[in-house]
Amino acid sequence: MRPDTYTVLIGGKAGEGVKKLAQVIAATGLQLGLHSFQMDDYQSLIKGGHNYSLVSFSPIVIHNAYHKADLIICLDELSYTQHLNDLADGGFIYYNSSEQTHQQGIGIELSKLMKEHYKNPSNPSLGGLAIFCAHLGLDNELMLRIIKISYKKNIEENLSFASQVYSLIQAQSKLPDAISQAPGLHLFSGNQCIGLGAWAAGLDTYFAYPMTPASSLLHFLASMSAKLGVKAIHAESELAAANMAVGAVVGGAKAAVGSSGGGFALMQEAFSLAGISEAPLLCVLSSRPGPATGVSTYTAQEDLLFALNQGHGEFSRIVASPDTMERAFSLATELLSLAWEFQIPVILLTEKHLSESAQSIRLPLGDACEATGLIHDALEPYNRYQITDSGISPMLFPPSEEIIKWNSHEHLESGLRTDQAAAMVAMKDKRDRKREHIALACARYPRIAVYGSGSRRIFAYGSTALEIREALQNLDDSYQLIVPIYLEPLPVDQLLPYTDSPALVIEHNSQPRFATFLKEKIGLETRQNILKYDGRAWDPLVLATKIKEAFDA
Amino acid sequence: MRNLDTPKANTWCPACGNFGILNAVKAGFKQLFDQGLDPAKLMITCGIGCHGKIFDYLNISGIYGLHGRAVATASGIKLANPELTVVSFGGDGDSLGEGLEHTLFAAKRNLDMTLILHNNGNYGLTTGQFSPLSPIGFRGLSTPQGSAEQPFDAIPLLLAAGASFVARSYSANPKHLAEILVKAVMHRGFSFIEVLQPCVSYNNTYQYYNSRIKMLDQIPSDVYEAMRLAKDKDHSYLGIYQAEKRDLFEDLSSGFANPVKESPAFRERIETLRTMYK
Repeated sequence: MRPDTYTVLIGGKAGEGVKKLAQVIAATGLQLGLHSFQMDDYQSLIKGGHNYSLVSFSPIVIHNAYHKADLIICLDELSYTQHLNDLADGGFIYYNSSEQTHQQGIGIELSKLMKEHYKNPSNPSLGGLAIFCAHLGLDNELMLRIIKISYKKNIEENLSFASQVYSLIQAQSKLPDAISQAPGLHLFSGNQCIGLGAWAAGLDTYFAYPMTPASSLLHFLASMSAKLGVKAIHAESELAAANMAVGAVVGGAKAAVGSSGGGFALMQEAFSLAGISEAPLLCVLSSRPGPATGVSTYTAQEDLLFALNQGHGEFSRIVASPDTMERAFSLATELLSLAWEFQIPVILLTEKHLSESAQSIRLPLGDACEATGLIHDALEPYNRYQITDSGISPMLFPPSEEIIKWNSHEHLESGLRTDQAAAMVAMKDKRDRKREHIALACARYPRIAVYGSGSRRIFAYGSTALEIREALQNLDDSYQLIVPIYLEPLPVDQLLPYTDSPALVIEHNSQPRFATFLKEKIGLETRQNILKYDGRAWDPLVLATKIKEAFDA
Repeated sequence: MRNLDTPKANTWCPACGNFGILNAVKAGFKQLFDQGLDPAKLMITCGIGCHGKIFDYLNISGIYGLHGRAVATASGIKLANPELTVVSFGGDGDSLGEGLEHTLFAAKRNLDMTLILHNNGNYGLTTGQFSPLSPIGFRGLSTPQGSAEQPFDAIPLLLAAGASFVARSYSANPKHLAEILVKAVMHRGFSFIEVLQPCVSYNNTYQYYNSRIKMLDQIPSDVYEAMRLAKDKDHSYLGIYQAEKRDLFEDLSSGFANPVKESPAFRERIETLRTMYK
């Protein structure tokens, strides 16, 4: 059973700095030696509406945020009515009493105090930080230091506002004690891990058109462009992004694209272009509920079969999905590396829950691998699509005296177009010969993850594993979670030993698509499905109860 | 000197305007090589259609891309390594139909590259449907009663999108086209050349153009004059409509100036991250 956790919920309107405040609070816990997990629930609007963030702290690794909060900070009135029921036993709720007063909870006149301390209209989130620090008995000096580091504008006004709010509040609770100071822990979102992983492996250029929840990967790489040199291009459309990326590869750069389901659908033809032209391309597909526009800012796993079947025509691809933040980093390096080794498009499939949640982790730099391709050694005349036993033709990049011709048509070894029967067969066979080598190469990396050693087996993939692992921390050790990381090629041999009894399959779909996939590929019998398709991540405690019930029944 | 011919058998219709373009392009590239352009740094892209076959007939590196996407692919090559000289070929259906967005955005961005538009006023390879540049009333397989759409005018469109070099030439005047191509490639910025090109099978415009072609005396004084001349009812003016110095996208955009050449080694990348996230 896990040691104590402590969860803070911050609610407010869009534009009030809820997410930023949650980041600052999570980072504060980090400074105190605590592990944290942050999850943001936000709507597709700019100002107003209702956003909230959850930050859960723990002395040991924490894989998911809890939904019942020990401390609720409401920056506006709507947050109070929405979240009063989310208060954990013995928890405290603070609200903005400038708007209304309530029987339950502690009112702080945030709006009134704000007017006294700020010349221009500001947002009340600094008051939220003061409530957090004062309520938990954190040192005033620590709070002032955090404000100076985290909020660069209006420093003097921020300090005086926060100090006054702080002075109005009694310390009433305590964060769990840290077991030890954990050096090297940093708060990373999944998209940051993916971006840094791809860059570590050799990424030079990233092309995208904004679409939540993949946009934050574009934003992150763009924000790092000056520091890391990576070129992050916001193209005119997903069609442009994907075709530019193939062009960048032809030019000699390591390239990636990213989008959610709708934008990824627009990239399909270029995905097939990467297939036939043998352009190594890392594609990040971060799912949200669909179909079409669906629900922009929430999580789902509806794109599993879409990812596996991406593109028209026959060609090899790899699809893999990270089950942890650390894996998001290492898998991005593996996938870019495999793309270059085999000159194929690869998909890193993930979901909003991993892309946009943040966890305190250590980047697994030691697991990073380098993306390199087979390069022509210039002794004989160059043919881009030289027929080889492995199916892999050496690459060559400009400037070069040799002629390097890539082609979206079926082609001869030279890269010139063909429609001759024998030449078609020869080139299709060449590409197909990569297949067995791809499967072998993937075996260099962890292709499945197994957590626990109990007899009650659960299957899941992607960020659902985060929710289940945290749920399992609240149950006894009779459970075991099996997570395929590589979905194409699926490591059937590794998974078969776990198919001797019916398993519980958990996924964020309205139909058991992942369970059906497992049945088809490894013959797994499903004991029960737990399906969730309301766009929200599980509360680990609720999920733990569901899991237990599924096996006790 | 590089031989620009390939062994590929030519499958354009006899007397196709594309032959004039191919000859002009070869002559233009040879002039550019004489002036110091390194053939090793020259890259071409094309879309799909009759124009795209030029990729097979030119002994030059590049990518035979998707229909409509030649300019996007070319942009990717240029962004990866701005040291390269990138020339893109597009049909009117390709560059102003399926791929209109990329053409306008390339002009807007002003990446240093060249687009040669093979304007034959119809979709040739798919057997003569109307194109975005076909006149209203054009009868093709998809519009047997005549097209009901107004055509785009390529040059005013590209001028409005901000192309920094805009010119028009004619496939039956390869000498002029070669000269224009040299100027377009030498121009620092996005260069657009509309090549008037008869399609002998579906839209034979030789007589039409021969009767109305005239040369521009000089670069028009401003963009409005350029648009007026480009849309002239009686004459098709050949020559340079716009040649303006504008900031290049590759100079203004953040990140490495040359991502390929400056790409850090793997160990350097890991060390950077180790330092950043101690």
